[in-house]
Amino acid sequence: MEMSELTHASAPRRSIGGQLLGSSQLVLGLILAALCIAISIAAPQFYSEANIIAILRQCALVLIVASGMTMLIITAEVDLSVGASLAFVGCIGMAVLNSTHSLALGMLAALAFAGGVGLFNGLVVTRLRVNSLIATIGTMMMLQGGVYLFTREAVQNHNRLVSFTDLGAGYVGAVPVPVILAALIFVVAYVTLRFTTLGRYLYAVGANEKAVRLSGLRSERLKLFAFVVTGLCVGVAGMILSSLMNAGQPTAGRGFELTVIAAVILGGTSLLGGRGSLFGTLLGVLVLKVIDNGIIILGWNQDLQMVVPGVVIILATYLDIIRNRANVR
Amino acid sequence: MSVDFLHPGEGTAIDTDVPALELRGIDKRFPGVVALDNVDFTLEAGKIHALMGENGAGKSTLIKIMAGVYGKDAGTIRMRGREVDIKSPRDSLKEGIKVVFQEIALISEFTVAENIFLEGYPTGKGGSIDWKKIRADSAALFNRIGFNVDPAARTGSLPVSQQQMVEIARALAHEARVVVMDEPTSSLTPNEVSLLFTVIRRLAALGIAVVYVSHKLDEVFEIADTVTVLRDGRHISTRPIGEHSNDTLIQDMIGRRIDNLFPRKRGAPGSKVALSVENLSTAKKLNDVSFEARAGEVLGFFGLMGAGRTELAKAIVGYDPITSGTITVDGSRLLPHDTRTGVRLGIGLLTEDRKSEGLMGELPVYQNASLASLGAFARLGFVDKAREHRAVQDYVDRFRIKTPSLFQQVKNLSGGNQQKVLIARWLMRGLKVIVVDEPTRGIDVGAKTEIFALIDRLAGEGLAVVMMTSEMPELLGLADRVAVMCEGRLTAIMSRDEATQEKILNAAIG
Repeated sequence: MEMSELTHASAPRRSIGGQLLGSSQLVLGLILAALCIAISIAAPQFYSEANIIAILRQCALVLIVASGMTMLIITAEVDLSVGASLAFVGCIGMAVLNSTHSLALGMLAALAFAGGVGLFNGLVVTRLRVNSLIATIGTMMMLQGGVYLFTREAVQNHNRLVSFTDLGAGYVGAVPVPVILAALIFVVAYVTLRFTTLGRYLYAVGANEKAVRLSGLRSERLKLFAFVVTGLCVGVAGMILSSLMNAGQPTAGRGFELTVIAAVILGGTSLLGGRGSLFGTLLGVLVLKVIDNGIIILGWNQDLQMVVPGVVIILATYLDIIRNRANVR
Repeated sequence: MSVDFLHPGEGTAIDTDVPALELRGIDKRFPGVVALDNVDFTLEAGKIHALMGENGAGKSTLIKIMAGVYGKDAGTIRMRGREVDIKSPRDSLKEGIKVVFQEIALISEFTVAENIFLEGYPTGKGGSIDWKKIRADSAALFNRIGFNVDPAARTGSLPVSQQQMVEIARALAHEARVVVMDEPTSSLTPNEVSLLFTVIRRLAALGIAVVYVSHKLDEVFEIADTVTVLRDGRHISTRPIGEHSNDTLIQDMIGRRIDNLFPRKRGAPGSKVALSVENLSTAKKLNDVSFEARAGEVLGFFGLMGAGRTELAKAIVGYDPITSGTITVDGSRLLPHDTRTGVRLGIGLLTEDRKSEGLMGELPVYQNASLASLGAFARLGFVDKAREHRAVQDYVDRFRIKTPSLFQQVKNLSGGNQQKVLIARWLMRGLKVIVVDEPTRGIDVGAKTEIFALIDRLAGEGLAVVMMTSEMPELLGLADRVAVMCEGRLTAIMSRDEATQEKILNAAIG
């Protein structure tokens, strides 16, 4: 209350340029630059072509799912089941691939399954009005158990489809295929959020669902859409992962949801909805994966791969709070 | 904590020459804003002192300094002549200042008695809490203010009016010499307001200096002894209430005169029926409501709290489900509980609760304005931002919406300007019927006339305006016809010429 009383007198705050590159992204960009410089001083091989490609490949999986997740979190919902779904999708895709010897059908099965999971989550949240945090923890548990009902062990690759191997390990020129797929999905999501009515409605529904409904829009369908898109992104990522591992692994994807959500939050997207950007998410993914990579090439204890990002998230969020405070006053 | 609070003032005779509280030369700056500039504010024991001003005038900042929520940048605070240093809410309470904020700060899971003695439970042997004593003392406190609340009740289960009483009892438990009531009536029924006033007068009779923060003129005239007006962070005037009239108070608050609160420029309403509601009922409230609204007319709905105005508003725009009845907009039937067809047929709601149902606070002004009409600015799903911005800018100019830019987050605008943005949202869409629910709630006096003029203009442009209001002057000043509701039923419809305050109130009581 007090804030709004005071600030209407203060100066304009968000220009077009400011919106495009809110200073939270600036902070994140600086953190990223600092990380890169620090690591490359300590370990010059950081800047080798091979290592950069490796980082990008690592980023690809996270970025694909984070693109959907950014949309979803902008609508003020969240999906914690993406990690469990990722593992399940890999197994199903691989099984269908083995029995049909068709990459298209395997891919289709993976997308259908993952999209179905998204639809299920979306319906539980919008129809049954279960809080998405709880609903998707439920789905996560169902999937984590369910995958063992489906297969006790890894589904090995019994076909010899080159196109499937390429999905994870192939290159176009010097660029890995997963990176290209991630870039494509990222661009589509970016354009949708920034330039289309759909994107604007996603922000609107996160900012105030009741206002959106009063304006004659179907808020529930918008949320459902974001859930399904997140699911489809998991479908793509799951197939890439099984191609990389040359098997469908029921144990894969543990903690993946945390990495994805961490990247999105780090990128400045608000869990409360209505605020955020895909560009920030991209930076968030890069920061997390550069930290990962740095820990490995510096030869540090690999358990730090979980510890350091945890610290970074708290720090970055705190910086954001300070920045907001400075702006609001 | 001792039981002395049952007999306050004994032994310390109230010295009326020394002010109960004296603030001198208070400055408070926030980055970019001078919230208070050399403000003086003096309270006498046993007197009710109204603190008035528009939003942003500095009222909240001043009471937050008294409450220890903010520190002051300059100035002195004296309690009964003694200079005190208030650094935290705890200090403030210790010095005997109790602020009852609009958003009540009680622990809703605790009982009333637990809340009253939150800062120090009386203990018995071995440090165990003496529950019996807490209850008994609580009951004694309520006795003194002449209002009974069950000390064992769970606080969250009580209506706001009673929670206020719990806060007041807390003030007495702390032997407060100054009690500040911050907009205390904003969510009370008329009955509860008069009870509250009785209690406030009682506090004054106990020798407590009461600060009454409000922007409701009629209340201030009823209860206050003295009025201080702030504007733009500066002290404008302090006068006995007897020296003020409505006009002088408004003039002090907004810094200029308002000649006519309800300018009427539109002609007589047409004869075309724009909205027809027949036998409308809902599960919880509405019971067989039928009426018509014509193009170019303002149809005002009056009712006391709980009469069902907001329920009616939400049902006829398709936001809430109905159990029976039909709603026809411009000749077409509206699918109930479907805002999408409602908006397509041309009926929309300007909500009473801007923050939770209207505004997207984090988003910029232009996105708020274009929300309902975004499709019109899109080609193949892509928004033509340049065209959108031009259209919004056009409304910003026409409605004189005060915003530094189209990109300002709408939460940073004043209430009146936010309301204009929401009206623009509907006009950009193009409506035949607009339902406005409490259109001036939380809006400054100065901005009110602008909203009234806008409503007049809407009707002048041929819209049917259905206006829900609990403010009698607003109703009589704006409406062509007056409909009155009571407990979910429509009890009277009369023309403006027939309508008198008495008739309306009679119909509202049922």
